[in-house]
Amino acid sequence: MLKVVAACGNGMGSSQIIKMKIEKVFKKLGISASIDHMSVGEARTMASNFDVVFCSTSLTGQFTIRNNRTKVIGLINLLSESEIEAKIIENGLK
Amino acid sequence: MDFANEFIAVFFQGFYNNILTKPEFFIGGLVFIGYLLLRKPIYDCFGGFIKAVVGMMIWGVGAAGLVNTFRPILAGLNDRFALHAAVIDPYFGLNAASEAIKSIGMSLSWTMIALIVGFGWNILLVLFRRYTKIRTLFLTGHVMIQQSTTVAWLVFFAIPELRTITGALVIGLLVGTYWAVFSNLTVEPTQKLTDNGGFAVGHQQMLWVWLTSKLAPRLGDPEKSVENINLPPWLSMFNDNVISSGTLMLVFFGIIMTVLGEPYLRVLDKAGFPATLAFPTYIISKSLSFAVYLFILISGVRMFVNELTESFRGLSEKVLPGCLPAVDCAATYGFASPNTVLYGFLFGAIGQFTAIAGLVIFKSPIMIITGFVPVFFDNATVAVFANKYGGARAVAIMTYFTGIIQVMGGAFAAWYFQLYTYGGWHGNIDWDTLWPFFGVIMEYAAIPGVVLIIACMLLIPQLQYRNSNKEEYFNCGQEEGGFGA
Repeated sequence: MLKVVAACGNGMGSSQIIKMKIEKVFKKLGISASIDHMSVGEARTMASNFDVVFCSTSLTGQFTIRNNRTKVIGLINLLSESEIEAKIIENGLK
Repeated sequence: MDFANEFIAVFFQGFYNNILTKPEFFIGGLVFIGYLLLRKPIYDCFGGFIKAVVGMMIWGVGAAGLVNTFRPILAGLNDRFALHAAVIDPYFGLNAASEAIKSIGMSLSWTMIALIVGFGWNILLVLFRRYTKIRTLFLTGHVMIQQSTTVAWLVFFAIPELRTITGALVIGLLVGTYWAVFSNLTVEPTQKLTDNGGFAVGHQQMLWVWLTSKLAPRLGDPEKSVENINLPPWLSMFNDNVISSGTLMLVFFGIIMTVLGEPYLRVLDKAGFPATLAFPTYIISKSLSFAVYLFILISGVRMFVNELTESFRGLSEKVLPGCLPAVDCAATYGFASPNTVLYGFLFGAIGQFTAIAGLVIFKSPIMIITGFVPVFFDNATVAVFANKYGGARAVAIMTYFTGIIQVMGGAFAAWYFQLYTYGGWHGNIDWDTLWPFFGVIMEYAAIPGVVLIIACMLLIPQLQYRNSNKEEYFNCGQEEGGFGA
């Protein structure tokens, strides 16, 4: 079970879009995952508790990861399932 | 027959007293029914009900905390300087509008009914797109809650005879038309920015997105992008909403409390400010407790909005093929360099601070306090679009003036619609310009005014269609295929 968090500025709108989209792509790829969503401010302090952090490319610089487990994936188009799928495969999550 | 009538009367009285005046159960019930219609298992429906109710109750805790922390400060400003203060932020605005709605004996369930009517009306406008020319469905749940609540207060304030169930319908039609028409207005700019990304903006600055796409080309050169500008690295710390809100609250309330003075506050807030506590400690903990209650409120809203969006999802996915989802403005930020967002925030903040200084110098009866959401997200969004259409120079000019207008419009609205009593106004740019204007029209023209506003809004997509390439109008952004595909 993959632990995933979707993050955005205030943890309200776009992180929920990401969450709904990755849920769909994970289902399609047969990956089981629990997905949370929150603000970058919260996610920064908790990132190491997750296997993957999804956020907009404009926010990837906010995360400094000090383990070799957590991956930070930046998305350009939060609504593009093909981009999400490509990045999941690229990062070896499947 | 009499018995049946009596039974119905008792039933409705009970429904009114226990459900309608308890919005958490109303929302919980909606989520439960939504999940049932999605054919989710019964334990999921139950879970959704619990999370929606708990989320709304958490919101209540945050709201009560904000109100209690704010009350002595508002009273102090009024007492010592005959001054009113309002934070321009949609969460403070939500808080203020809900308190105002409760103060006239109405419940938040009315605004939730309005939200559902608005969403349904948006769906109808999309389904009849051949006639209405609407291509977008507004899906940003937390924004829909904030906007229906603010519009509810504007209508209840301007037209007291609409403080009824009919009023809730009117509010729904009004806000639903805004969602449909103005998100539709962002289709072309968003497709240009995102290279046909397949979505539109459904947020708080939709008019401004369109305006930016028209003005920015005249203000600069898109080739000279913000991308090539280096910003000081500490600025990126404001991407973190906890740091941003905390800092803003510390600065503004710090200044206000210092001006009110130690002896005065010791008398005013006896319980919170015992003799053993030093003044700086008091200021810091009091200011930061605004941020604390704000985050409690936000996490409550997030919890129930998540359930509400989930339960509306089945319905929206049925409607969406052939139209575009209108989503949170932050979805556009990935299409610009990260410093564009900060560059817009920087100039927007300078604009806001200039205007606030102006309010102080010219002794305005209303003080405005910068809130995080409008100064950050409106200006970041304007920046992303201005950069695409007019480069760095357009970004600086557009966001600086956006900041000024946010404060001026917010000050007018907080004063005119009397929400300074509760210390907040919605504060995002469309709500500092377009909606105060609508509010004034409604106050002077009452119900005919509402009809006029809705009719004028519905005319906009017709003009858009007329001025467009008619063959491409409905295909714009369809390749990527939105939510439903």
